[in-house]
Amino acid sequence: MKKNTAKVAAMILAAAMVCGACGGGAADKGGAADTTAAAQDTQKAQDPQGAQDGAPETETEKAEGAGEEKAKPAEKIKVGITVPYSGFVANLGENAVNGALLGIKMEGREEDMELLIEDTKCEAELAVTKCSKLKEQDGCLFIMGSVTGFEGDAQADWLKKNSDVIFLPSYSATQDMTMRDFSPNMIRAGWTADQVMFNFGEYIAKEVGYKKIISIGADYSYPWGQAAGFARGFMENGGEEIKYIWYPEGNLDFSSIMTQVSSMAGDYDAVFLNDGGSPIVAFWKAWEQYGLNNKFGQIIGGTNVADTNVLSEVSDGFVGVLSASFYSDGDENAANQAFRKAFIDEYGYEPDAVAVQSYDTIRCIIRGLDAVGWDTSDQQAIIDAICALEVTDSPRGSFYFDEYHNAVQNVYVKEVVMTDEGTMANVIKKTYEDVSQFGPYEAYKEQYMQFAEDARDYPYTTKDAYMEDLRKVMGDEYVDALEADGGWKH
Amino acid sequence: MGGSSKRATLVKRAGLGLLAVALLVIPLFSSDFTMTMIIRYMYYGLLTISFGFLAGELGLFSLMTPVSLTLTGYTIGLCQTKFDIPFIPSIFLAFLVSMSFAALCGWMADRSQGVSFLMLTLVFSQLVYSLALQWTSMTNGTTGLLGIRFPDALEIFSENTKVNHYYWTLLIFGLTIFLVYRLITSSYGLRLRGIKNSETRMAALGYHTGLLKWSAFMVSSLISSIAGVLFVYNTGMINPEIMTLNSSNQALISSILGGVDSVLLGSIVGTVINRTLELTLGSLTRRYATIVGALFLAIILLMPEGLISIAKKLVYGKDGRPGRPVGGTVQGQSAEAGDGAGGTGAGLRCVTPGGSPEEALASGGPGDVVSSNDTEGTEEKGGKMRR
Amino acid sequence: MIYLSTFLNGLTIAGYLFLMALGLNLSFGLMNIVNMSHGTMYLAGGFIGWTVLTKTGSWFLGLLSAGAAMGVFAFLEDLFFLRRARGNMTMETLITLSVSIIGADLIVGIFSGRTRQVKIPKLLQGAFPVGDFYFPKYNLFIILFAVFFGLIFWYVLKRTKIGMIIRAGVDDQEIVSTLGIDIKLLFSAIFTLSGILAGMAGMIGGTFQNLVSGQDSSVMVYTLLIVIIGGMGSFEGAIFGSLIIGMAFTFGSLLAPQFSQFFLFAPVAIVLVFSPRGIFGKGR
Repeated sequence: MKKNTAKVAAMILAAAMVCGACGGGAADKGGAADTTAAAQDTQKAQDPQGAQDGAPETETEKAEGAGEEKAKPAEKIKVGITVPYSGFVANLGENAVNGALLGIKMEGREEDMELLIEDTKCEAELAVTKCSKLKEQDGCLFIMGSVTGFEGDAQADWLKKNSDVIFLPSYSATQDMTMRDFSPNMIRAGWTADQVMFNFGEYIAKEVGYKKIISIGADYSYPWGQAAGFARGFMENGGEEIKYIWYPEGNLDFSSIMTQVSSMAGDYDAVFLNDGGSPIVAFWKAWEQYGLNNKFGQIIGGTNVADTNVLSEVSDGFVGVLSASFYSDGDENAANQAFRKAFIDEYGYEPDAVAVQSYDTIRCIIRGLDAVGWDTSDQQAIIDAICALEVTDSPRGSFYFDEYHNAVQNVYVKEVVMTDEGTMANVIKKTYEDVSQFGPYEAYKEQYMQFAEDARDYPYTTKDAYMEDLRKVMGDEYVDALEADGGWKH
Repeated sequence: MGGSSKRATLVKRAGLGLLAVALLVIPLFSSDFTMTMIIRYMYYGLLTISFGFLAGELGLFSLMTPVSLTLTGYTIGLCQTKFDIPFIPSIFLAFLVSMSFAALCGWMADRSQGVSFLMLTLVFSQLVYSLALQWTSMTNGTTGLLGIRFPDALEIFSENTKVNHYYWTLLIFGLTIFLVYRLITSSYGLRLRGIKNSETRMAALGYHTGLLKWSAFMVSSLISSIAGVLFVYNTGMINPEIMTLNSSNQALISSILGGVDSVLLGSIVGTVINRTLELTLGSLTRRYATIVGALFLAIILLMPEGLISIAKKLVYGKDGRPGRPVGGTVQGQSAEAGDGAGGTGAGLRCVTPGGSPEEALASGGPGDVVSSNDTEGTEEKGGKMRR
Repeated sequence: MIYLSTFLNGLTIAGYLFLMALGLNLSFGLMNIVNMSHGTMYLAGGFIGWTVLTKTGSWFLGLLSAGAAMGVFAFLEDLFFLRRARGNMTMETLITLSVSIIGADLIVGIFSGRTRQVKIPKLLQGAFPVGDFYFPKYNLFIILFAVFFGLIFWYVLKRTKIGMIIRAGVDDQEIVSTLGIDIKLLFSAIFTLSGILAGMAGMIGGTFQNLVSGQDSSVMVYTLLIVIIGGMGSFEGAIFGSLIIGMAFTFGSLLAPQFSQFFLFAPVAIVLVFSPRGIFGKGR
């Protein structure tokens, strides 16, 4: 019996070691910034360009960027990043980490900066605990947040009790983080769910001409925000009705929804799909299976619907899907092309918007530090320096920060097309320049913040109810002007 | 009760005293993060104890231990963020809500056992989970309730919020532990373990076993509710995440790592190990879950009494248990129950539900259990063991 | 008409969950194990089938290899781990739980966390018109497949000698061992069979809903619901349980999608209050 015990022990130990080794191997591949020959080449190729584009930002940086001598920190600056790094959304976390590592590398700051990766297992409580760990144990001044919305919200709440760090949320897109619940030490080089959808709603109502839309989305805060932004743009530019269907987050069975939508075919113009990731792939399969592509025109989608990791899995029927985002993988600007090439060379797969956001965030930190000469003693000075940046060589184009520390950036209406290589990609149909998180309400910030928070059943979904609410908050003058112009003026 | 037992008592008292002093002075010279970690051990520790109380004392493995925690958390959160109800009434209301639900669910403890109980509790925890997830106008969905704050008026220990939180948590944790210890070592605890060993015998002796089981379920829920208060004020949030199958499993894993039968010590040791691994391994490897799973498997197969058995061996010598009086009568166990770890020492092996009354009587007490590796022996009994 | 369509959808979901529940129920009835790694076998089977499909292009080969691979996996799990705890059902359940934790993580490690679409075989693509609606051919295939397996199992269990032995084993293991039947072998065979079923269900369900990491636990919960509501260890229970869950799922999603999860669990909880052993469960 003892022998047996020993055998089992040995087996389990061996299994654990193998797994550990696998895990370690994978982490090394993605994590450690080994400088391979190919990667070094890209870096050389990119450096001059980065310096050129980055140059006009601030006077000090111009001097430092052009000259060989860079300001150096006394010791390595620690930047913490909290992402789901194990478990089933680990690939999002991996993208965020890889984007940040590439950012450090492209800026040539591997010597001066260290990225501490903490796994949140996609749990809000752990995400907050890891923030405490990074701050209290590792002494990080900069903490980059997690990729999912609810983790980001929890971390934003944590930040209110911890004013001595600079927090840069990642892909989480809740608008109130940088609006109604503004924290002075939070900077978001990302986006809000509403920000990218205002103009998309307008585009659909005005240029595509749909009047009635069925919105099918996952039932949590990010799709609510997207739906809210879309509804404002849509309703104020001629849309008449949005019918909402909310399914539980992570839902993969769409057969009932297909049946229901199928019965509404004559009454609505199009379906607006409002989620991201695996449900999109499942949705699309059911959509074709149940023959809805014959009953409706092509679907339109939220920001993550036509993401590259979705495009690689769905059928060719996905061509023609319209969506809107702050980033388009098919953007032809030089910075994007260089970024994509470098990323694929380094990690062997295509980057997505999460990687772009993480890449931009870390570069904002680096450039902010450049501006203060890598002196970390004055936290406020660093925050001011980062918020004063205008990044012109981002893969998404260019962006700067508004007074609530959220990025002001271009919003692209994208369309899925078939490339010559036989794969699908996005091309830009229309660009709305310098859109802030307030979108078209830039001149009415105070009023906008009077609106109720985005929720499952707000904003209202019929034109009358919506306009009544709008009149109450924005005033008669605004609504009358809107009705006279037939929508927003640009 | 030989010399080993005396030595053990001495070691235990000295250890406990040292630990208490250490916990009290930690805020004076340690980093903030040590406090964060200890606070975390304390609220998750109570959750594990809530699980361990049912598992160790009654042999019932519950997957709904986090439910009381969540209900308490949501009630407190709603009271503060939505309805502006002051601190004291909201705490009162929170306990009312969670304990009422527990009282409704308590029947399960009597009407099912073993795996069947495991499954029933799974359904009810998922029911509450789905409500928390989908009743968004109240619960705010996956995001849950945020911004729950400890009242400023209670900053009595220190100006520093963290230190203040630490001492409050320690105080409540200590009180709860003390009460649970008293409960386990009382005749009430003895009766529960009597039911675990042979319900028929206890019923024959005239005990109302159904009521006893129901009350044990209530105690377990109460511990979990207290953990909920600590959780919600320390993290400032509550969301459905804490109630997923995975989260319930964490309490189960912690308890088994430490030792199921050692309700207090085992649960705390298990929680500390599990949560420390969570914090440290996560930064080192992507395959964190594999390692924890393998460790869990190894403990189940090789050390069914949990890691605490190593410590026991050190203290009590090779046997790994205190001197035990002969005979397995109900009274006879009291000496052992006073052991603080409060276990019958049989680890997982004793958890098998059922077992006919004759068997339980004949086996001469909880110590004599069929070794799980002895397949032939168990096979013979197989027919009787399952219920 | 909309209800007929939803009913057919419910049948489809009931179909592939039935394959899961059948295996889980068999191993529970005979061995008293609630195999918590059943969901892991589902997902692992799906991913293995998908790998074979992308390499060879044959969906049916993928289905067979998914079943075979998970059969081997189940056999090994039984041989190395479960046999050490035979007779102690809580311990066996905990072993399968730890296997599921390890398995879920390794699936992410080996197949990456990305969503995979399993292409429907050419033969089964397309849909039949049902009134104003379409009903996909593949859904019909799932239903027929489940009915086919159900009939086979019904026949084997009720009409053959092996079935008699298994049923006798469910009722009383001692009798079976006194008959001179190697109960170890019987247990191994049944557990392997449940692995094969889970693997094939993974391929079939994966083709229906795609393969997503993390799905192992949701499928596991649904399967457990079926087994709990139908009655653990009961063949009839598996049939009725999967029908109830399938219908609750689709009609819940149709009538109140924002409360669909709640309406899935609430009826189960109510049934259990009155009958904690499930509809077809045997006494305590």
